[in-house]
Amino acid sequence: MAKFPVRSLATAAVVALATTVGMLAPQAMAQQQIRVGGIYIMSGTAAAYGQFAKQGLELAAEEINKSGGILGRQVTIAMEDSQGKVDVAIQAARKLVFQGRADVLIGLDSSGVANGLVPTVPELRKPLIITHAATPDVTGKLCNAYTFRISVNVNQNMMAAAKVAQETGKKRWTTIGPDYAFGHQSWEYFQEYLKRLEPDVELMNQVAFPRFGAEDFTPFINSIMQAKPEGILISLWGGDLVNFIRQARNLGFFDQGYEILFTVGAATEVLAAMGEEMPEGVWVGTRYWFGSHDNEINRNFVKAYMERYKNPPSYNAEGAYAALYLYKQAVEKAGTTDGEAVAKALAGMTLEAPNGRITIRAGDHQALVGPTWGRVAQYSPEYGIRMLDPVRNFSGEEVTPSVEETGCKL
Amino acid sequence: MRNAIIALILLALFAALFWLPSYAPYFYIFVATEILLMGLFAASFNLIFGYTGMLSFGHAAFFGIGGYTAALLLLHFQLPLFWVLLLSMLAGMLLAAVIGFFCVRLDEVYFAMLTLAFGMMTYAVVHQWRSLTNGSDGVAGFALREFGLGLDLQLADPAVYYQMVLVIVVLASLALYLITRSPFGLLLRAISENAERVAFCGINVRRYRLLSFIIAGTFAGLAGGLFAPFNRVANPDMVHWTESAQPVLMTILGGAGYFLGPYFGAAVFVLLETWITTYTEQWMLFLGVILAIMVIFFRRGILGTILDWLLRRQ
Amino acid sequence: MESFLAALLNGLEIGLLLFVIAVGLNIIFGVLGVINFAHGGLYMLGAYLTYTLVSRGGLPFWPALLLAPLAVAILAIVLERLVLRHVYGRHVTDSLLLTFALLLIIDDAVRMIWGSGIQVVTPPPGLRGATSALGFSYPVYSFFVMGVAIAVMAALWLFFTRTRAGRVIRAAAIDRDMAQTIGINVPLVITGVFALGAWMAALAGVVAAPMRAINPGMGDRIIIDSFIVVVIGGLGSFPGTLAGALVLGMIYAFGGRFLPELNLVLPYIGMALVLLLRPQGLMGRRTG
Repeated sequence: MAKFPVRSLATAAVVALATTVGMLAPQAMAQQQIRVGGIYIMSGTAAAYGQFAKQGLELAAEEINKSGGILGRQVTIAMEDSQGKVDVAIQAARKLVFQGRADVLIGLDSSGVANGLVPTVPELRKPLIITHAATPDVTGKLCNAYTFRISVNVNQNMMAAAKVAQETGKKRWTTIGPDYAFGHQSWEYFQEYLKRLEPDVELMNQVAFPRFGAEDFTPFINSIMQAKPEGILISLWGGDLVNFIRQARNLGFFDQGYEILFTVGAATEVLAAMGEEMPEGVWVGTRYWFGSHDNEINRNFVKAYMERYKNPPSYNAEGAYAALYLYKQAVEKAGTTDGEAVAKALAGMTLEAPNGRITIRAGDHQALVGPTWGRVAQYSPEYGIRMLDPVRNFSGEEVTPSVEETGCKL
Repeated sequence: MRNAIIALILLALFAALFWLPSYAPYFYIFVATEILLMGLFAASFNLIFGYTGMLSFGHAAFFGIGGYTAALLLLHFQLPLFWVLLLSMLAGMLLAAVIGFFCVRLDEVYFAMLTLAFGMMTYAVVHQWRSLTNGSDGVAGFALREFGLGLDLQLADPAVYYQMVLVIVVLASLALYLITRSPFGLLLRAISENAERVAFCGINVRRYRLLSFIIAGTFAGLAGGLFAPFNRVANPDMVHWTESAQPVLMTILGGAGYFLGPYFGAAVFVLLETWITTYTEQWMLFLGVILAIMVIFFRRGILGTILDWLLRRQ
Repeated sequence: MESFLAALLNGLEIGLLLFVIAVGLNIIFGVLGVINFAHGGLYMLGAYLTYTLVSRGGLPFWPALLLAPLAVAILAIVLERLVLRHVYGRHVTDSLLLTFALLLIIDDAVRMIWGSGIQVVTPPPGLRGATSALGFSYPVYSFFVMGVAIAVMAALWLFFTRTRAGRVIRAAAIDRDMAQTIGINVPLVITGVFALGAWMAALAGVVAAPMRAINPGMGDRIIIDSFIVVVIGGLGSFPGTLAGALVLGMIYAFGGRFLPELNLVLPYIGMALVLLLRPQGLMGRRTG
């Protein structure tokens, strides 16, 4: 069976040679273009996030190119699928930078991927702008000179959630979240912040962390209902959240008088999937809500996006869209696309984005940006989703912990 | 004469690979490193599959434990990499001894399912033991310092890391090869062809299977121990069953009947992925089509098919 | 007591749905000797076709219950004749890899056709909402799911024991060569069995569509669960599949409730225990 013959080796040598020739093949690309590498989840259960981000990037690139590009150079976008896996994402980043000669990386949906990729970014010597992944560590203990985040992180969203929770006046809180870092971290920060705001609040031991992709949430819904909480923080997202809401609805979960906070419930893909079935009156949070920012940039963005893609922009589309404009501004300030210079320019930079004025804090490279929270209200046939009323935009200043608290040392 | 030719080709190949960083585009240093590590991972799997005739669906457990061992040791103790790798191998070996002890009792599909179960139990432990493993986020943020043994290597330089990986993978593969050619290796092959007959000869088949399983786990641990520093992270993905499917695919793609088959399969797999994903988001579709064609028409893998073709021409 | 009853009912529901999927997998294994990795993909196709027919096409749910599984069964016949046929009689790993390849292709094809978003199907009128007949609130639709599963179970049992076609299939499962020599058209039986298995996977997909979020990747999760069911119950055993499905359903229902921190690992512990203590499965026959 297994042999080690001369021929086998000769074949290997020939193939090695062919491969070498293959990879030396010209990678000629116009030197003048500015190349943006996008790394998102494009396949599998969470593929919708990658699609939204891609749309946001494409829209921004088209607008920028129409108005003369960046420093007179046109922008091109290359997308890579992270598959939500860290080794795939790391290799994709290396490929985009070293082979595709990308000038900047924009992306990352999964916290696990972000945590793995971020420590390798300084080796690439190109800035990475994170637009979705919310793990505190990448602008905390793993922060570095080349990594930036334009989107809301777990701390910021949980600080806002704690404020919403405080205002509801409810005293007994529990959680239902996915059984991985995001779910556990959300609950930990929520407890910490709510306790700080409202020391006499009761944070229950009876919590539920169903496995990611559990399909059937009935056991967890039942056990939480039996514990008789007053308020519930729910950090499920995507398909899990849709499954959860539909099953919970049938079990009468929404008729118990609980105050319910869905930390990423105002994601448009969830609202679109749920349609009128989305329960009214629950609090939902999001990194960006297309209807709550009354400024010209947002109006133009939403209009252009609706025309092109026929649905309202999700937060992931907005994050990617804003990230490209942030990069544009940094390159124009630096006067070059050199990675180090642009990274320096990005630190402390302020951008007028669809979700208002945001500043990349120099101390940890986290954007001072706040989430939007609102109550689910009437159905809008125009957008095909239930809208939020009232809506509250949190400012970055009121929800962002100090640099010292993040543990980032730059 | 024949031996001289083999030696020459081997040397030339090694030299060409060793100096790859000086002529290949920078990115291919990473591609080549990944190919070598996945190749070693797949070759260790093939000791169980191709040589002993058992389909393991949980081989990522040993790869992952090697990776976590390396990441944790580098993070908390800043050990020289040489000792880290030895301990990664040890971790792979011990876990394989425990899992193998149970698994080698079963055959065929039952063996595959039991290895899947143990693999996923390992995954669950890694995923849930947050205080040690940092849960789903994995262990990151460690630095690569010295190699040890008095060698002055700049491990943070990808080219240097690649060359170190090449030397280690070549040495490990040589060891694996010698094992397959030893009386022990021949016996494994006899077991894969007809376990009953071997048992009739008074040989304890189960013990040989266990030994093969442990050796495979040890080398998978080494591959994982090199992989985590390469990516600067050890993550639960490394232990998941989808990671266990990788060496299976690579081995079948390359040719399970040849010692170099898994390396070959790893090279084809990684290069295809690198090239195809540039042009399309439908990489899985292409992989599926290629895989289906390979299984239906080229049962002996790419390497086997090429060799058959060469033989027939003679 | 109420919470125990609720968990029991929930376990029954999860288990019965898993049964409909896994029994197809098991029958295919029994007759074809093929472990069909693509089975989860067929389940997903059933759900997506329901979405197209009901949510997009405006059809009522009931015709979809007939049409979607039929369409998937026809696709399965094509797949069996053109693709799967090549690997019969080979080592089981060959078919495992080939069907894994099919799963990859189906996954990407679904994403190309239906996009990557989350889709939902509304339950048919009359099956919406919940009932409190048992003293606690439980979805009406869940009772329908259990009813369908029990109907499928009964129909299968009658088919295999009372009809000639069923007996022919069982004969082919026991000894294919012998069946061939006594004049059974084995290739036709094989095609029929594969189509039947696919039909059931798709039927489960249709039934699941109004209560589960439909998105790409939903087939990958269900296939591993189905493997666990088949292994726990016993490869090639029809009653075993039911036992395995109920065991796994209960593991999810009670484990999620009483041992939530172990909910990732319990199914695998269950599978490993069965394999070690009773490798042929709870109800499988011991073979060579």
